[in-house]
Parts: sequence; structure tokens; C-alpha cells
Amino acid sequence: MANILIVDDSSTMRKIISRSLRQAGLAVDDIFEAGDGIEGLSVLGEKSVDLILSDINMPNMDGLEFIKQVRANGNNVPIVMITTEGGEDIIKEAIASGASASIKKPFTPDQLNEKLGGML
Amino acid sequence: MMLNALVEEATHLKEADMARHVIDATKEVFSTMIMMDLDANFPLSESVNTFHCSISGMVGMAGTYTGILAIHCPQSFALKVTSNMLGMEVEEVGEDVTDALGEIANMLGGYVKMVLSKGGMDINLSIPTVISGEEYTINAMSDSDCVLVPFTHNEDSFLVSLKLRKE
Repeated sequence: MANILIVDDSSTMRKIISRSLRQAGLAVDDIFEAGDGIEGLSVLGEKSVDLILSDINMPNMDGLEFIKQVRANGNNVPIVMITTEGGEDIIKEAIASGASASIKKPFTPDQLNEKLGGML
Repeated sequence: MMLNALVEEATHLKEADMARHVIDATKEVFSTMIMMDLDANFPLSESVNTFHCSISGMVGMAGTYTGILAIHCPQSFALKVTSNMLGMEVEEVGEDVTDALGEIANMLGGYVKMVLSKGGMDINLSIPTVISGEEYTINAMSDSDCVLVPFTHNEDSFLVSLKLRKE
């Protein structure tokens, strides 16, 4: 069972992702939430996490900077971007910064399962 | 209302083409995330700037194109939308409804950005803004540079607007 951190400035989207993870039947234990990259780093300082799902377009610290900070801290946890920002260049930058994959919003629980199943 | 001529020239898209993208995006977001199937009634002949007992979620675009993507809906419909998104009954317009409308605008803005942008780096999306009230007017850019698409779901209706300029 995996602990997952969801980083998204939309509380609605965090709830949808959390519900979709359960609906997809993925092996999920605890789900932690953060509203931006700064909060995400704070959670990572306190909790053990097996997978991070992060938005890109967020206030205070966006998803790309968040990935860089996580990697700079020596944390190699898989990070999957869940974002409306599906542009090829942005995804390339996210991957180059250390993201493992990306999922485009909107998404279905089946699409989550397909993308995340091999990581959990 | 029509698409800005410079936008048409740069994108090789006519107003009806851009409206089709807005329709496809809105239908996909609503069917996937909100479990609602929509009917689109494009075109709308007159601009709409004043709203009553409504809520509007907006996201700005800046870069090679400048614009605003907005969804405007009656508060009663916004409650249904939010309830469906969250899987729980939402009975008053508050933080949940505001956040939900902002996120819908964000997803629609992301879709339009993908239509306009080469790789995603030449256009930035803003953090969503949401306003609501008994009566309010939104004035942004020129009314003539706007694609406005009305949607219906059963007895409810709402609008999605896209104001766009080429920079």
C-alpha cells in the first residue's frame, strides 16, 4: 500500500484525484494534500511518501519549481504531473526536471489506473 | 461577435472552428469530470456582459495570444456542477463552488492554450479568478473579439466565452 501526496491549488481537484485513486482500485494507503509547491515540500519534510501527483500552474511555487526542489533535496520519489498544461515543451521541461510521467486534465479513473498502475 | 481578424489569420481558424474547440473542450470536461452531457447552441447572436445571480470562473492567457476564457453560469446550476464534481450535496455558494468554477475555467483554458500554442511555453495561463453576485457586469477587451457559446443541460443553461487577441 502506497502513501500519496497530491499537490494542487484546487481543493476540488485534490478531492477528485483522491476519489479517482480509490475508484481506480489502486493500492493506496494514506493520501496527503498540499495547495502549492511550498506546502508540498513541507509535507515531504514530515511524511513518508511513495508517489507525488502534482499540478504545474499553481501560486507561490509552481509544479516545475516544486519538482526541482524535491530533487535538489535528494528525494527520488516518482512524481507524476496532473495538469491542463499539456504542451510538449512544458512536459519535456517537467521530465527533464525529474518528473516520471504526466496525466492531462480532465481524466478518468481508468486513465489514472493505466498511468499509475505500474508505479504502485 | 466574431473572432479577432489577426487571430484568424495567425491560427487559420474561423470563428466557427474556434467555437468547435470550445464546444469540444467543454463537453469533454463536463462528461469526464462532472458527469453531465451537454448540448451546445452556437452561435449566440448578441454579446452578454451582465449576469444575474450568477458565478463566473475566468482564466487569463498571456503571451503570443492574450485573452480570457470564462464560464458564466447561474448559481443554481453551479451548485449542481459542484455537487457532481465533489460527489456530495453542495447547498450554498461558497468556497467549494468558487474553487470548482475556477478549476473548470482552468481546464478549459488549458485546452484552448493547446490549440493556440506551439509547445506550451509561449502562452501562460493565470491562476483562475472567480466572481459571483446578484448582478454584475464584466468588461474586458473588445466585445467584437469574442467567441460565445451557450450550453444547456436539461433545463439549465450557461455560457462559455473566449476573448482573444494576437500580440
